Order: sequence, then C-alpha cells, then structure tokens
Amino acid sequence: MSIVKAVYEALVKVINFYVLVRDKLSPGWSTKNSSRVKEWKLMAYAFSKSKIGVLGGMIVFVVTLLAIIGPLLAWEPYWEYKVVEDPELWYHPPCIPPWCSGYPLLGTDEWGRDIISLSFYGFRISFVISLFVVFLGAPLGILLGLVAGYKGGLIDEVIMRLTDIFIAFPGLILAIAFASVFPQRIRAFLEANTLLRDFLSFIFGLRPNEYAQLAAILSVWVAMVIVWWPGYARIVRGSVLSVREQPFIEAAKLVGLPTRKILIKHVLPNVLSPILVMMTFDLATATLFAAALSFLGLGPQEPVPELGYLISKAGNFFPERTAHIVLYYGTILLVIALGWNLLGDALRDVLDPRTRRSIEFREGG
Amino acid sequence: MGLTTFLVRRAVTFVPTLLGVLLITYLIAYAVPTDPVRAWVGEKLMNPERLQEIREKYRFDRPWYEQFAFLVSELLSGRLEDPVRQRNVFTELFYRFPITVEVALIGFIFLVLIGIPLGVLAAVKKDSFIDFFVRIFALTGSSLPAFVLYYFLILGFFVYTHTTYLAGIPYPTQTCRDWIGSLPTTYPYVGNFISAIGSVPMFGAAMCGEWFVVADTFKRLYLPGLALGLLNGGFIARIVRNSLLDALGSEYVLFAKARGLKKLRIWRHVLKNAMIPVVTVLGINFGGLLSGAVIAETVFNIPGMGRYMYDSITRLNFPAIIAATFLFAIIYIVTNLVVDILYAAIDPRIRY
Repeated sequence: MSIVKAVYEALVKVINFYVLVRDKLSPGWSTKNSSRVKEWKLMAYAFSKSKIGVLGGMIVFVVTLLAIIGPLLAWEPYWEYKVVEDPELWYHPPCIPPWCSGYPLLGTDEWGRDIISLSFYGFRISFVISLFVVFLGAPLGILLGLVAGYKGGLIDEVIMRLTDIFIAFPGLILAIAFASVFPQRIRAFLEANTLLRDFLSFIFGLRPNEYAQLAAILSVWVAMVIVWWPGYARIVRGSVLSVREQPFIEAAKLVGLPTRKILIKHVLPNVLSPILVMMTFDLATATLFAAALSFLGLGPQEPVPELGYLISKAGNFFPERTAHIVLYYGTILLVIALGWNLLGDALRDVLDPRTRRSIEFREGG
Repeated sequence: MGLTTFLVRRAVTFVPTLLGVLLITYLIAYAVPTDPVRAWVGEKLMNPERLQEIREKYRFDRPWYEQFAFLVSELLSGRLEDPVRQRNVFTELFYRFPITVEVALIGFIFLVLIGIPLGVLAAVKKDSFIDFFVRIFALTGSSLPAFVLYYFLILGFFVYTHTTYLAGIPYPTQTCRDWIGSLPTTYPYVGNFISAIGSVPMFGAAMCGEWFVVADTFKRLYLPGLALGLLNGGFIARIVRNSLLDALGSEYVLFAKARGLKKLRIWRHVLKNAMIPVVTVLGINFGGLLSGAVIAETVFNIPGMGRYMYDSITRLNFPAIIAATFLFAIIYIVTNLVVDILYAAIDPRIRY
C-alpha cells in the first residue's frame, strides 16, 4: 500500500513540475490545460495501482541508471587481456570468498577479464542500441503512417506497398544482409570523421580507436531501424484512417490550419497511446534482437563486450566451463527485456481509456 | 465481391510486392564493396580464366539492372545456379525447405498445445492464479533471449538426460524415396502433388509406413519445438484469453443465455467468434517459422532455410540469396492469403 502511495506521489510531483515549467514558458498554460493535467494524474494513479507496472518501472529505472554509469563503474578496462600474465585466468571458475580468494567473484572469460566488470560495458551497449533503434525507427514509421493515412489515394498506395515489401521480408534476414554489407562503408566514414567517432564511442562507452567495431554496431543499428519502421507505419495508418473522419479534423481544416499542423497537433495525439505501448514493448524486442545479431557474429567483434557476442563465445565451451557465464549474461538480457515488457503491459492498461476508467480514482491521493 | 475477384485483386497487388522484395535484396547485395566472384570461387580453384568465365556467366560486366534482369529471368525459368555449391538453386532449396517444414510443424504443434489450453483456462478462470501465471509466462517468454534458453534446454535434455540428439536429420530409406520420386510418372498431376508432400522426410516415411523414421524425427526435433512453445506459447495464450473474454462479454452471449441455450451451444458461438484473431496470429507465426529460424538452426545444428540464407549471405552468394528471398516472399504471401480465406470459412459474416 505504501509503495502505491509513494509511486503515485512521485509521479504527481513529476507532473506538477512539468506543469510549473510549461506555465513559466507560456503563462496561463495550467488553467487552459487543467483537464488534461487531471487526466495525467488519473493515469499516474492507475499506473501506481498496477503491481506489474511498478515492478517494471523500477527495473527500467535501475537498468537506465546502470547503463548511464555502467562503464564508469567497471573496475577493469575491457581491452586489458590479463590472461597473458596469468594463464590461470583462462575461463577461471567462480570464486566465492570463504573457499577461494584472489580471483573474481563470478570467474573470468577467455581473456581473463572479470565477468561482472565486463557486463557493465555490455549493459550500456545493449541499452543504447535499443534506444537508438526504437527512437529512430518509430518516428520514421509514424511519419509515413500519418502521411499515408491522412493523404490517402496514390501516396497511401505507394507507402503501403513499400511497407508491405519490408514486412514481407523476414526481419532477421534483412538485418543479416545489412550487417554483412554495411560495416566496410561506415568504417571508412568513421575513419574520416574524428568528431563523430569520439562522440559515438563516448555514447557506447568504448575507446575511440575502436572504430571498426563501432562501424559494426552502427550497421546492426541501421539494419534494425530499417526492419523496425513498417510495423509503426501500419498501426499509425490504421488509427489515422478512423481519426481523419472525426468532426474536429473537419473543423481544423475549415479554420484553415496547414496540413502539417493538423497532423502534429490534432491527429498525432489521438493515435499516440498505442504507439507508446508498442515502443515500450519494442525496446525489449530490440535489445534481444541486437543481442541475437551479435550472437550470430554480425555485430561487433573483439574486444567489444557486447552481451550477445560474449554469450556466443562462451557457448563454445558450454556447459563445462561456461554455464555460469551464459546464465549470467542471459539473466542480464532477460532483466532488461522483462523491465520494458512489464512496463509496457501496465502502460497498455493505463493508456487505454476503457480500462483506465475501471480503476477507481481518488482525487488528491 | 466474389472469391475469384478477391483472389485476382490479391494476385495483382502481390506482383509488385514480390518484385520489390527481389529488387531490394539485389540492391543491398549489390552495395557490397568487395568482389563476390572471388568469394564464390574460393582460394583453391582461383585462376583468372575461371574468374572471367563466372563474371561473364552472371553478367558482371554489364550494368546492375541487366544483372538483376538476368538473375530474375533465370530464377523464373528454374535454371539459376548456385555458384558456390555449383548446382541448381532449386535442388538446394528442395533439400533445405522440407526440413524447415518439419521443424516448423513440430514447433507449431507445441505452440498450439501450450498456447490454446492455457489461454482458455485463463479466460474461464479470469483474475485467478492461473490468469496471473499466464500473464507472467507470456511476459517472461517474450523477454527471454532465445539462444540462452536453447543452451539450457540442450543442457537439460541432451547433455544430462540424452533424450534427443543433435546431428543429422532422419530420412526414409532409399527404396521409399525412389518410390516417391517415381509417383509423378505413374500418376500424372496427383502424383506431383503427393510427391511434393512426400519430399518432407517425415511425411514421406509415413507414406511408406516407416514409422520409426517419423518417431526418430520427433525425437530429433522436439527440442526446438518445445523451445518455441515456451517462448511464444504465453503470447498465444494471452491472445486466446483476450479474444475469448471479448466474445464472452458480447451481447449475443447475453441473448443466448437469456434464451436459455445450453452451455455447450453458447461456447460453440463464442469459440467461433474468438478464433479470428487467434487464427491471424497463428497463421503469421507459422509463416515466420517457414522462413527458418536462423538462431535455432545454428544452435540445434539443423540444415534448414535459415541456415542456408545465413551461409549464402556471409559468402555473398547472390543467386542463392535471391532464390531464398523469392521463396520467403511467396511463403509470406500465401500464408496471408490462407489466413484471409480461413476468416471467411470461420466467420460467415466475412465475405469477399
């Protein structure tokens, strides 16, 4: 009960802060949008009542935090191969203090690197890739879906045929094709652009001279964006088709608003909630998909500690020496994806007005 | 609109989709900065004459659209050759695809056996423990990295208990395969159809009555199937549950109850109406399975379509890539069509 209250109060604080900022930026905003703010608070309450959602939110919060500070926490640089100095470190088994000492807690990988320290880097890479994919793929799909649904006619036909082509294509195959084709090109580009290279390596928590591996990560990412947008285009188009016929769109047209404004201010907010839910679920799918691509050897290679790649390497000595490694990295992936999925499952109930109304609302909490 | 007009309209819209898929595949492949011919020939047989011969054969001295037109025309006339394995691509596809069909079928059986009963249970006992369990099962299934699950299934079912094996694919005996191969000549038309079905090793063995091969196939392939059931079964169960609840809460059920219809009759109506979203998802799932699961085939060592595609891409084997993509696109189109037709069969209100 106390958790429900705490979560609700925290969310209300965030909403109040947002209202304060908006009010400072454009005076009178809060009075004009009071009903909308009330709706948000209702959503916050409904969300705080959902145990699954609160658990998912907590996981996502911790994962985000770990992804941000992960590479700073890692106590061993991932490019140091300690096995050169001490051959004992080659896949050293877990070392739990009372029985054994002097070696890492969960053992080491083939290069003698501490598995736990290594996983912090992997956290960052997986997290950033999934964010990049969803936050680039979704807007692209949304834009195309909006235009197709609103304009209709030939434009609609062309965009939807294009969407069909990309959906008819098995996603993994397209991604494999891209991942095997793109790295060479992106690599040359990164070699030339020092600034971009430094920026990207900072974001992924890697060294700047790892640009060959950065190119591989980027190609995985480009491939996934291309696979990702058609789903959004389809869903958005479907909802736009029904919104388009509503009287308020007619009114906006009569007032003489430009199409761009109608689409962004009047159509988009009305189709947004299923998209938000889908994006949350897709963050989980994208994390797993990126890991699967690296598992197949299409992502970054040595020495970049991408979780999927680390698992595929550990798989070579499965199960005698590496069962715990596969289990540990697998659990990390599971937890990241589970956090997003739990959150998405709760958001679906919260953002849907029909189910939200059924959750009793107490004013003020 | 009658069924024929519907089919014709569908066929017309599918042609550009099919060509578009092929074109995009080709353009992606064309963007590779390295020389594919060298990758095809390999180090051992590399000599200038041979390279030149292959270059001319596949029109590498011509602009890209001529190469593409050449590939597509060869593909449609069935003469396209896989330059790496040096035999017709269709020979290769006819070897790989039946195996993928087997894997997909067994996986599908697990999916249905796990998904539908769980979904019905969750709907009947809504908000109970089992409902909550199905929800968690679905969420965990979609959050599990597939390859990690595969590893631990292999650990449990192969390394420790030896209930399966991970090498080779069971085939019917040579006499049986010869008999199936001779069917088209003895019985024209019908024989072609039967021999196509018989090309799936499991079905072929069943036709000859070699049941031990069928049993062996199940023993070999139940593990990837079980994995699929564990990963996607919860998702299917959730869809079954939600559509059942939608149907149970609708007005015709209330009316049927008011009229005093028997429970069994009411359930018949409910099931028929609830089946539509379930059929869609299952159909699309099956279509996806037929394109081969690259990761499952890699971990479980199955020579299916996914593995073939992966090997072809990493060796820049364009003709094989084009042929496999063509097959995938056709599978996608056919599954969508079958799903649409099934709608009409299930729900008499839907007519084309």
